[in-house]
Amino acid sequence: MILNLIFWILCLLINFGLLAIVFYALLCLTDLEVDQMDPFVATANINRWILPEFALQAVLSLLLLLTGHWILFLLAVPLTCYHAVLFIRRQHLIDVTEVFRNLNTDKKRRMIKLGVYMIFFTIFIFRVVLFAVNHILNDDDDDIDSF
Amino acid sequence: MGTENPGRPNFPLTGSPFAAAPPTTTPFSASGPVVGSEASGFRPPAQPPQNAMPSVSSGPVVGPQASGYRPNNLPARFNDPPVISPPTAYVPPIGGPPFQRYPTPHFPSAHQAPPPRAPPIGQPPFQPPVGQVPSPASFHPQPQVHSVPMGSPPSRANDPQLPSDSSSFGSRANFQPPFSSVDSSYSASRANLQPPLPGYAKQANVVSQAPPMALFQAQQGSYAAPTPTPPPTFHPQQGGFAQPPPIAAPFGLHSRDQIQHPGSAPPIGGIQGLAEDFGSLSIGSVPGTIDSGLDPKALPRPLDGDVEPNSLGEAYSMNCNPRYLRLTTSAIPSSQSLLSRWHCPLGAVVCPLAEAPDGEEVPVINFVSTGIIRCRRCRTYVNPYVTFTDSGRKWRCNICALLNDVPGDYFAQLDATGRRVDLNQRPELIKGSVDFVAPTEYMVRPPMPPLYFFLIDVSVSAVRSGMIEVVAQTIKSCLDELPGFPRTQVGFITFDSTIHFYNMKSSLTQPQMMVVSDLDDIFVPLPDDLLVNLSESRPVVEAFLDSLPSMFQDNMNMESALGPAVKAAFMVMSQLGGKLLIFQNTMPSLGVGRLKLRGDDLRVYGTDKEHALRTPEDPFYKNMAAECTKYQIGVNVYAFSDKYIDIASLGALAKYSGGQVYYYPSFQSASHGEKLRHELARDLTRETAWEAVMRIRCGKGIRFTSYHGNFMLRSTDLLALPAVDCDKAYGAQLSLEETLLTSQTVYFQVALLYTASCGERRIRVHTAAVPVVTDLGEMYRQADTGAIVSLFARLAIEKSLSHKLEDARSSVQLRIVKALREFRNLYAVQHRLGGRMIYPESLKLLPLYGLALSKSAALRGGYADVQLDDRCAAGFTMMALPVKKLLKLLYPSLIRVDEYLLKPSAQTDEFKNIMKRLPLTAESLDSRGLYVYDDGFRFVVWFGRMLSPDLAMNLLGQDAAAEFSKVSFGKHDTEMSRKLMGVLRKLRESDPSYYQLCNLVRQGEQPREGFFLLTNFVEDQIGGTSGYSEWMVQIHRQVQQNA
Repeated sequence: MILNLIFWILCLLINFGLLAIVFYALLCLTDLEVDQMDPFVATANINRWILPEFALQAVLSLLLLLTGHWILFLLAVPLTCYHAVLFIRRQHLIDVTEVFRNLNTDKKRRMIKLGVYMIFFTIFIFRVVLFAVNHILNDDDDDIDSF
Repeated sequence: MGTENPGRPNFPLTGSPFAAAPPTTTPFSASGPVVGSEASGFRPPAQPPQNAMPSVSSGPVVGPQASGYRPNNLPARFNDPPVISPPTAYVPPIGGPPFQRYPTPHFPSAHQAPPPRAPPIGQPPFQPPVGQVPSPASFHPQPQVHSVPMGSPPSRANDPQLPSDSSSFGSRANFQPPFSSVDSSYSASRANLQPPLPGYAKQANVVSQAPPMALFQAQQGSYAAPTPTPPPTFHPQQGGFAQPPPIAAPFGLHSRDQIQHPGSAPPIGGIQGLAEDFGSLSIGSVPGTIDSGLDPKALPRPLDGDVEPNSLGEAYSMNCNPRYLRLTTSAIPSSQSLLSRWHCPLGAVVCPLAEAPDGEEVPVINFVSTGIIRCRRCRTYVNPYVTFTDSGRKWRCNICALLNDVPGDYFAQLDATGRRVDLNQRPELIKGSVDFVAPTEYMVRPPMPPLYFFLIDVSVSAVRSGMIEVVAQTIKSCLDELPGFPRTQVGFITFDSTIHFYNMKSSLTQPQMMVVSDLDDIFVPLPDDLLVNLSESRPVVEAFLDSLPSMFQDNMNMESALGPAVKAAFMVMSQLGGKLLIFQNTMPSLGVGRLKLRGDDLRVYGTDKEHALRTPEDPFYKNMAAECTKYQIGVNVYAFSDKYIDIASLGALAKYSGGQVYYYPSFQSASHGEKLRHELARDLTRETAWEAVMRIRCGKGIRFTSYHGNFMLRSTDLLALPAVDCDKAYGAQLSLEETLLTSQTVYFQVALLYTASCGERRIRVHTAAVPVVTDLGEMYRQADTGAIVSLFARLAIEKSLSHKLEDARSSVQLRIVKALREFRNLYAVQHRLGGRMIYPESLKLLPLYGLALSKSAALRGGYADVQLDDRCAAGFTMMALPVKKLLKLLYPSLIRVDEYLLKPSAQTDEFKNIMKRLPLTAESLDSRGLYVYDDGFRFVVWFGRMLSPDLAMNLLGQDAAAEFSKVSFGKHDTEMSRKLMGVLRKLRESDPSYYQLCNLVRQGEQPREGFFLLTNFVEDQIGGTSGYSEWMVQIHRQVQQNA
């Protein structure tokens, strides 16, 4: 029981990481758009976090798979596959020479990702709360049982 | 802007100078130039009736107005508040039948030398009584001065421009000098037209309102006469490209004004509409037949070369010259919905440093005391369209309408008309193009010296081809002419499998060579002296260049470590920036950025992976280019190879650093040396602007959204151009941000902040104003084919980098079809133009250029038609070419020279006669003739099979019988040879940016003839592509589908 709770908290933390990375990328792109940031700096900032993001997402999928949460795994796997395809095609990094041309597409993609991560976030937080409450209740139950 | 990179001041400007123009502007005040030009409705006293008009026999009634001309040069402030606005002078009594436009191009004499003050007939054209009659800038005191505008009436009469709001008067006959041959042949056939067709009925009503019926015949040839019998003086003025159609369909009867400007025009306005402005082409074929029924001779062709539109010349006489800025249409649509019906690109082609002919140089202005006058809010530079108010203490920005204070030192009184009294001493208030000297606020570091760094491949193939020798000689010969003496700096690196640095310290007598062989961890062996001041180290540099060819003549190294070498050069240059010239002879094979053979896998072609061959294989090149741009380094790539060298990857270096790609396939110094010598010399000596950034500002409601060309974007609208020169142009596309534009005029201001070679920081500013229109027809009328084609080419080439060639070509075709269909919908129904193809007069060449574009080396055919490297090089070149050169490349000139050569004496004026361009089709070639084909990049001299042997002997001497591929075309000591060389020299001088090598071709000599000449005949059917007539039929059919 406690393991389950730890698992969900771990998922939530990973999800926090993903959300933060995507949010940061969006922030950079918006700054770039309104001319608050140099394209070299912005792309370097975003690119630095792209591989960690991919890794986190992959770890998350793997965790879900190994723990047998099939439905959540199926929800997570398309995004992971998308990352894999981008990586294989070597299109995962933002190209500083073309950054303005693709600015809108990049932003849109990240908005969608942000949405996906938010969905996971709600699921995870729900689970965490559920399990935490369950855990406490169960403890009580145990107490009751022990009577 | 925030472009600072850590540690080094990256580039000038930050917030203040080039701050993004906030699009918060308010609508233009009514006192803007538009209104001023509206006033131009008044005309100078007309001259007496033009009896002189030959073919306008019915013309005299027309009276004096011949209103095609009008005084131009009304200054912007013409209509400032204190001035009473004279438009009333325009609303003339019907007394004279005014507003009629003559096809003056034909009858230039008609307008010439009018008596200084001709008595107006029936109509007071000018209201003199007013004490306050404004005396506009160049229209000084009295009305008589109208002889000034008269000076060149034909051109201005030809000029359909009216400012937007006077458009209601506009009979914008877009008269176009017709092709003379067509003219004659068609006037006859036209006369058979059966006039009254239903579509005409409407016009007849209009006509009935107008007293002088005869006007129409005089005016517009294609208009069928109102009377049943066609007038004898029928004059096919335009659009006369058609054979007599099966059912004669008169056209040109459109009265646009009735539709577009109800009520705004006097009744007479209806007449103007009749002067129509579209061409038409009868396509008589039934679908399915092979014979197109199209007379190939009648098709429009650009045999006069590119004609720059000066249509707005009068109303906006202070616009910058079109050589700097060309808009795809000089009429900005007022709404999104209107824009969506304009299927051509809406945008501009900018060539900020275009070479100006003598006498038209851009004035350099130094605001020492006041600082550069700019709008507080939108940062617009002061320009001829700003207005001064409050007795000269304030000025109103024309772009955002903000009232700015005039600095004390810049203050000048206004005269009675609201003009500054010192106007004539202020070029920035008169001219559309000026150079401001920028004070220190515009610098982040001291202006850099001109810097040339040479990166020379010395591997075995470079030695064998003789490239090194030519390059060394050329550089040496240019040392005196490098711009920026005495600050100019130079440096050299050579490389094969190792990298050789040269210490050129001025105290040395011979350069010291240092070899670095660790390619993975490049370091610079010497902190200084790799980059030296040319004037100090001149002897060392010369000694180096002298010894360079011999130094490596026995080099047998086949490897090339280009990537590390570029990195090394970057390290040396990054302190200063400058221009990096790379001479590359083999495919980079060592170190970072090594490339592998691509494109030999035929299975890739035609699939979705094909485009990948045209993009850089290794991201190293893109990243390197971005780094270079960051440190103000522009890269020019000279590629020489007889094998695949992957221009697609190498070119990325030039593309993203504002450079240029020169490609010399199978370079041999003996045959191609001259071309390299000339082009390298041009590259080294042409006026170059260093560490530049460019921004185009425009009025509220519109925005430039995409840019196309060789540069890197620094922010959404700031182009970083480390080294820019006169041979580079940039395309940009506009979009409307608001659904409805409320202003009547839109202003564009191109600002290029750069360091001149002399070390002065300058801002080149080009300003242009164009009207906003509500009428699609007007947009078509003001369209500029050259700019449209240029943008089409850039878009198509970009598309070919991510799609199949086929898709890129069809997208061009589709857009042409859509544009013509929209135009057809505008006019055809009304006029029952059934089977005819109609197109705007301004876009008559668009289909042809579209065809030529899809047959250009960059987009032609499939994999077998053009070598991959050739294709990529052509693409890179076309992305940078200014409009004129691009059009020349797309539709090269073909001229016949044998008659000229055989004439005993050559006069200079004869030269013009022989420069008659012929249609680009094999039918133009006469086997008894000698032809020169010139596309701006090479000459092909074609010897007809039956050309007199005497002529060939004279030109070629003993080589006349030899195989032409081995013959070098040199000067011989004969009269004819000298004359031909003179012709070629003239052709070269007309455009010095590239050097055309001569290729000799004998008729029937395959495959040379096919390769050099026949594939470039865009009007012919070549290998599955359609010829001009078929193309037109094809377009026409597509236009009609769903029309």
